[in-house]
Amino acid sequence: MSAAPPKPARNWPLLIGTLGFLVAMTWWSGHGIGFSLSELLCNLTGGQRLLRESWPPDFAFLPRLYGPFMETIYIAIIGTVVGGILAIPVAVLAARNLTLGKVVWFADRNFMNILRTLPDLFWAMMFAAAVGFGPVAGALALSVFTIAVISKLWSESLEAIDMGMPEAVRAVGGTWLQMIQFGAIPQGLQHYVSYALYAFELNVRASMVLGLVGAGGIGMILETQRANFEYERVTMIILAVLVAVLIIEQISESIRKRLA
Amino acid sequence: MIAKPGLLQPQKQIGWATWATFIIAALFVWSLIAIEFSPGRMIQVPGQIARVLSFFYPADMAYGWNAVLPAIIESIQIAWVGTIIAAILSLPLALFGARTLFPRVARFVKLISATARAFPEILLAIYFVPIVGLGAFAGALAIGISSVGMLTKLGAEVVESIDFGPVEAVEASGGSRILALRYAVVPQVLPEIVAHWLFRFELNIRASAVLGVVGAGGVGGVLLNTLRYRHFEKAAAVLLLTIIVVLIIDMVSGEIRRKIIRG
Repeated sequence: MSAAPPKPARNWPLLIGTLGFLVAMTWWSGHGIGFSLSELLCNLTGGQRLLRESWPPDFAFLPRLYGPFMETIYIAIIGTVVGGILAIPVAVLAARNLTLGKVVWFADRNFMNILRTLPDLFWAMMFAAAVGFGPVAGALALSVFTIAVISKLWSESLEAIDMGMPEAVRAVGGTWLQMIQFGAIPQGLQHYVSYALYAFELNVRASMVLGLVGAGGIGMILETQRANFEYERVTMIILAVLVAVLIIEQISESIRKRLA
Repeated sequence: MIAKPGLLQPQKQIGWATWATFIIAALFVWSLIAIEFSPGRMIQVPGQIARVLSFFYPADMAYGWNAVLPAIIESIQIAWVGTIIAAILSLPLALFGARTLFPRVARFVKLISATARAFPEILLAIYFVPIVGLGAFAGALAIGISSVGMLTKLGAEVVESIDFGPVEAVEASGGSRILALRYAVVPQVLPEIVAHWLFRFELNIRASAVLGVVGAGGVGGVLLNTLRYRHFEKAAAVLLLTIIVVLIIDMVSGEIRRKIIRG
């Protein structure tokens, strides 16, 4: 009888180091945020009261959501269109094969990365402070967020295009802009449309909560009801939002699938 | 009519693209009118933004080190605990959510994961704050629960794409389904699943940064307060430190992910 094959050797120092780091990090974090299971279990009774208060949802409140909900959709549309247009140059200049030189590429790449570090609500807070509370701040915030989403994704698909067409435009004496317009963009158009729809989905989702910081839309009602502890209304708003988001996502997704 | 060979051009047609552009433009203008974003208002906006931006300089770095950095660290801790909660809950769910291994349970698990994904973490935090009280703990729970959905979905997709040879080998030599999971499935999927955990951690840093808005701890509440009282130099410190910390974490985590995937 042959012996069992030898077990593959393990890199014990790496394994122990990694596990040690994970445990230490988790302990430190858990301690830092005051994580405690006993508190959680104890508070679940308090939670029961909240859950009882937040159910059933206040359906009488539903008609009052129509206006703010439409405002949310308007914000998402404006943000997607403005951001979608501005994302085109950002993405083209960030694509290694199309950009106008190393310096421009480097600057644009970093610009894109910095846009992506800040969450959408941070932009919303800043624009609300700058242009005042209301949907305009939300639309501006989503424009910035859309630039970040589309330019990142699209610059990557532009890097994968067939360079024959742009080179052909160049070879017959076309300028850089003509090369982009006739050589590159037609190839990337399908991806662009699908990313723009994806950004719209994200924007609808994001615009629901923008109002929490005063940037317009249905989140503003949510914030007042939350502050007043009207949880049966909070539940109503959240349910309505979820249903609407899911419907919009389904529509957008089916268009995207058809495009692909 | 036959075109001259040299002038042959593709036939232009008013196709769906033109219609789509037209519809989008109409929706756009309609939305602008609906939120009362008049041309007069439009002209004011750049000036308003420039004015506030000018107040951002110089950033109040003393405030940055004393008040902002601890809040950012709290955000990182929230994101970490949330990711750990989600990782622990989603690993078994991902295994049972794989169509190829457990066809009947998988449909149910995928339904749970889709529901969890539908809730933005900030809406969950609205419920957790009154339950466990103001603070970071509520934030970590919200992040954890809302991450479970995505991690389960991605994990299940990884499990569905495995090589079935080792599973059959374990079962052929008399091992149970559970043993097959332990010795044939988990070793194959773990690297990719861990990479997804790290990626989710990067996303959760951004998510936890905004939870302060509803009182769930972290740096978002600090930014909201500095802007509310129009302390723009302090807000500048928040933005600056957030950008730097997030860039560093993205870089480190991205590097580790590449290492793990390459093996």
